[in-house]
Amino acid sequence: MDCSKVELWLSEYMEASLPAEAADAVAKHLVSCRNCSALLQEMRSIVSLCHDYPSLEMGPEFVERILLRTSGRPRTRSFRELLHQHIIRPLLTPRLAIGATLATLFLFLMLDLMLPRLSVTFSSISPAGVVRLMDRGARQLYGEGLRAYNKKNEWQEQYNRFKNNTLNNLRSIMEQIDVPVEGHQKTEEPEPPKDDAPKEKSSGLFLWPA
Amino acid sequence: MLSGDQKLVERCLQGDDSAWEIVVNLYGKRIYNLSYRYTNRREEAEDLTQNILIRVYQNLRSYRLDAGSFQNWILRVARNLIIDHYRQVRRFPKTGGSEELETMSIQDEKTPNPQRAAEQAEASRFLQDGLQALSPELKEAIILRDIEGIAYQDIAELLSVPEGTVKSRINRGRLELAKLLTKRRALLGMQM
Repeated sequence: MDCSKVELWLSEYMEASLPAEAADAVAKHLVSCRNCSALLQEMRSIVSLCHDYPSLEMGPEFVERILLRTSGRPRTRSFRELLHQHIIRPLLTPRLAIGATLATLFLFLMLDLMLPRLSVTFSSISPAGVVRLMDRGARQLYGEGLRAYNKKNEWQEQYNRFKNNTLNNLRSIMEQIDVPVEGHQKTEEPEPPKDDAPKEKSSGLFLWPA
Repeated sequence: MLSGDQKLVERCLQGDDSAWEIVVNLYGKRIYNLSYRYTNRREEAEDLTQNILIRVYQNLRSYRLDAGSFQNWILRVARNLIIDHYRQVRRFPKTGGSEELETMSIQDEKTPNPQRAAEQAEASRFLQDGLQALSPELKEAIILRDIEGIAYQDIAELLSVPEGTVKSRINRGRLELAKLLTKRRALLGMQM
């Protein structure tokens, strides 16, 4: 058997789909022919290389583009993708992340300041202990509330005092402005009666009812 | 009795978009890779895949159950468009060489080891260059059989040629490729 005939059968021989008689003939030839034997070896390595040939993956954006161009319906997203899209990705925007961090920090600070301090151990937990703790907590909260109420009254009182002082000062300033300056009174016109002159007309300001 | 693919087509024809999404996910990757084997360029392969799937979507009604499997029908549509594209490109060739396979091999799950991935990429590039030197007929036979792993009978149906012709083309393709790569390897060895 010559090389050209063996070459025609090499693929089938490699895939073991050649009839037994022909396969024996090819095998005998391969033993004696180095060229054909090397060729078969090279063909085997090519097929193996083809099987390991890397394949491209279709990215989600690519699939989305095709679906939008065909059915017009966007791609179905998995729960993980939805979670990432609606929760994780927005959280990763710098503005929201800073806002969320500051809000959390503020919340913890407020809780730390506002909540009554409770020292609880697991061994102290019992129905009576829990009631006692709750009672103490409630009292503490009530006490804090009363203190806050007193503080509010104190602030209100200070505010009223400040307001009255300011108003009195303003009133005295207005009265000073209302005093006529000597030498500037008109002599031709008769002086209007004192009772008819409206007070607000002189200053143009009206801060409180007469 | 309808098979899974045929039910899928029926659902697509009834306007079920989720069924079409399944079709795209099932066959898109194969079409994309097939396009890439022919074009050797990722962007061109993407455009081609998109055009093929648009054509498939528009012509779903023309698929006949007795005309063979749905996969073969899709591959036939793909092949026709790829050949059209090939003729167009041959008439108006684009400048620039082929894309590197390095980025591709990194994505390959079979080769997580970087050194192995680099060797794989080198071997694949060697093979790819060899494939480009084959005639379109032989190249097509090798791509369909050895890279895509399609059965002889399906290839015969796809190419509308007898199974014997397919076997003969694959054998000739392998032989030519083997001789070519042996020669190139010898040349590289001499240079080194």
